[in-house]
Amino acid sequence: MSETVLAGGCQCGAVRFRASGPFKVAVCHCRMCQKAFGNYFAPLVTAKDVEWTRGTPALFRSSNLARRGFCASCGTPLFYLGDDDEACELAGGAFDRPEAVPPTLQINLKDRVAFFDTLPEVPHHKNVEKEAAFKATVATHQHPDHDTDVWPPPSKA
Amino acid sequence: MKRIELELSGGCQCGAVRYHTAQILDNAHICHCRMCQKAVGNFFAALVGMPLDVFTWTRGEPSIFMSSEHVARGFCSKCGTPLFYRNMNNPRIGITIGSIDTPEKVVPLYQFGNEGRLPYFESLPALEGAETTTETDDPDFAANIRITNHQHPDHDTEHWP
Repeated sequence: MSETVLAGGCQCGAVRFRASGPFKVAVCHCRMCQKAFGNYFAPLVTAKDVEWTRGTPALFRSSNLARRGFCASCGTPLFYLGDDDEACELAGGAFDRPEAVPPTLQINLKDRVAFFDTLPEVPHHKNVEKEAAFKATVATHQHPDHDTDVWPPPSKA
Repeated sequence: MKRIELELSGGCQCGAVRYHTAQILDNAHICHCRMCQKAVGNFFAALVGMPLDVFTWTRGEPSIFMSSEHVARGFCSKCGTPLFYRNMNNPRIGITIGSIDTPEKVVPLYQFGNEGRLPYFESLPALEGAETTTETDDPDFAANIRITNHQHPDHDTEHWP
């Protein structure tokens, strides 16, 4: 748990949010979160006072009890919201500083992929030079990891 | 990269976009780079290459965001599921492993983009809570989700919805 205000948003920057702590962060392994996030699990950050500071997320009703928010322009998953919940659970990786929302809990272990425990032991990619050469060519269209007054910048609009 | 014979289907959460491949490449990995993190709203992206000559979209079409000049990110415009990373210069598509109907069949072989790796990544397996399930903590809620869920099942369907 941490007390602070954090910002975040989708990859393209069309949707931005601000949220207040304390933040409670869980890794959810359920199959619905896996599919919604296209990943082995979803990192869900329960926050207070979530404010959408730019744009509006698109919604998918994943069951009669919950909705999922995402950016219609770039697809970044943004939140899970149970109909009875007071606040939405934001996607941990969508925060500008995901290192500020460390998870403390994992839930729905029934669907956990068998190799989850070994992920940290997976070897690192060895072709570091090729990786660096590719990264050097990337001219990113990703929104920066901080709020912006105007987006996209006039030169890209 | 070597080809591995493996028939896999997958798609987005709502089922509007579905795909099939006859092979995967031996490059299943998790990528920690900041662009992958933000694209998939997660601590990392889990991706596996599929050769385009054996890969087909079997239902619908993904939407695309060009996250940089040469890289497309695909997703479902109806439900938002991140579906792929694609370097347009390469004859392969990097599919998000969680969107595959059987993600446990695709074990990551290496980690990539380690400059963006989050400090708590190593401690994920040790997180508290390993015993809890929604089924035991809140069986009514779990049952209701099961009955009413709008997620496409983890197999191909003739008609959907």
